[in-house]
Amino acid sequence: MSALDIIMILLRIAFGVLVPLSFVAVLVWMERRGAAYFQDRSGPNRCNIMGFRAGGLVQNLADAIKLVFKEDVVPGHIRHKFYFILAPMLVFITALLCFAVIPFADVLLVGGSSYIMQAIPTDIGILWFLAIVGFGVYGIILAGWSSHNKYGVLGGLRAAAQVISYEIPMGLALVSLLAVYGTVNLTEMAQYQGQLLFGFIPMWGVVLQPLGVIIFIVAAFAETNRTPFDLAEGESEIVAGFHVEYSSMKFALFFMGEYVAMFVSSALIVTLYFGSYQIPWLATDTLLAYARPVTVLLMIGLPVIGYFFGQWIKKNNSSHYRREHDPRIRETKVYIALLWSLVVLLEVICLGYLLFAAGGGADRILVALLQIGTFLLKTFLMCFVYVWVRWTLPRFRYDQLQKIGWEKLLPLSLLNIFITSAVIVAFG
Amino acid sequence: MGAKVRVVERKGRTFLEQLYLLEVFKGMAVTLGHFFRNLLDNSRLYVRHYPEVRPEISPRWRGRHRLTRHEDGTVKCVACFMCQTNCPSNCIIIEAGERFDGRSEKMPLRFDIDLLECIYCGYCVEACPMDAIRMDTGIFSVTSDNRESMVLGLEEMLRTPGAFDEDSYQKGVR
Repeated sequence: MSALDIIMILLRIAFGVLVPLSFVAVLVWMERRGAAYFQDRSGPNRCNIMGFRAGGLVQNLADAIKLVFKEDVVPGHIRHKFYFILAPMLVFITALLCFAVIPFADVLLVGGSSYIMQAIPTDIGILWFLAIVGFGVYGIILAGWSSHNKYGVLGGLRAAAQVISYEIPMGLALVSLLAVYGTVNLTEMAQYQGQLLFGFIPMWGVVLQPLGVIIFIVAAFAETNRTPFDLAEGESEIVAGFHVEYSSMKFALFFMGEYVAMFVSSALIVTLYFGSYQIPWLATDTLLAYARPVTVLLMIGLPVIGYFFGQWIKKNNSSHYRREHDPRIRETKVYIALLWSLVVLLEVICLGYLLFAAGGGADRILVALLQIGTFLLKTFLMCFVYVWVRWTLPRFRYDQLQKIGWEKLLPLSLLNIFITSAVIVAFG
Repeated sequence: MGAKVRVVERKGRTFLEQLYLLEVFKGMAVTLGHFFRNLLDNSRLYVRHYPEVRPEISPRWRGRHRLTRHEDGTVKCVACFMCQTNCPSNCIIIEAGERFDGRSEKMPLRFDIDLLECIYCGYCVEACPMDAIRMDTGIFSVTSDNRESMVLGLEEMLRTPGAFDEDSYQKGVR
């Protein structure tokens, strides 16, 4: 094993662990500010360090400090303390593990050997996800049961029933998808989606499986216990459901687990249906062949994006009332300076690449970075869809949930399998 | 039975509506419209930047209480106990004493309102025959970190001025 091998292993594992964790902060922020903007409120915008609010991101820090320093209560009536403590860990770890098999860039060829860009470079792909994600609900059931609390048990039961009913349409939607791709390996699926249908449409899963994508997304929402399927924690009837007895960091683990699960299922939806890391019309080979023009385009595009982003910051990071020594003026100046120094840094890196490193290994690394960026952007947008749906739709009633799962989604997914297999048999 | 019968047309039963998906997308379009409107220009948010920007209080607003005086500066209250009797939350405690300024025979020596008990119903103001107690100070935020300071005394209530002129108070409009 060479030094490069070890570095690549560490890099991939770091990506697989740290990206979901740092996305938790981004997602909590997006949820709160997004919810506020959907409802014409402003959301948390007061928290600051030396007057810098980072658009409300500092609020996350305050929340984290609060949760860490809260009293960690284990109620006296709980008999099985081990399970009580195990449950949040299980929820969090399973959510994190799911991300391990999701590819975030195409297979990287560096130094004569190839690296599959997944945290765990295995080819079981989607099977790993199905195995682990079903395990996550054990944490919820365990939490509900070991809480020894009516609301907790009810919440746990609801979660269990919900996950069981929605795993079936989800699995069946995957069956037809697997028939299309002909593989369970997620990296191969992503490579398949780099092709073009009829020569001009990107061959994404959403184009090939329009019905399947709806079924899968609905089931994925149910799997992650998100609105409109979050009745496992329906606060109006069962207080907080399974995590009613949890406090401090144990609650924080549930909370983070929910957001990691949301990130991971967004990543999976993107991988399966929205072309994974593929930039539309620019498959890996095309990108490699046109690495220099793409870089030049990037160098032109970056300042333009920077300019508009700066204008947006200037317009929106201002006080809407009269203030003496307005701190937002200084804040805005610093933000704009940071933004432009970032743009200049990227430009210098691009220029350095063009002048000294173009061709060979550097091309491949550049393409991998572009693909990682694309993948994260797509996942971010999918996470936004989660937030968007949450603040649009009301929660389903329990019987409605089961009805949709069994009477609508299940027949639809079966129909989808029939149609898909008929098309595959007819057209090869 | 002569009851009027009105047949209500049921909505949401057409095939397209029963599909849910189309209606879901319509709803999501509405919320996304709000999101982008606010994202692109956050001065359009329907929020008041409290506490820097204070709301405008109408003269009808029942704020913190005050006691009024006659023009010559004597206390209007005659300690008739009307407000204390009428108070549904028993938050008013009056102690009456003899009066020597010639206005009447009685005046309050102690007039305490426990603001933690008060429900701001305004019955004391309506009950008062002398127009001595009013809730027109415009103070809507009464906070403290201990219980003792939430009990409002006679002196403090006499000291607080009304926030509105007499005309607008009587009319109830600014």
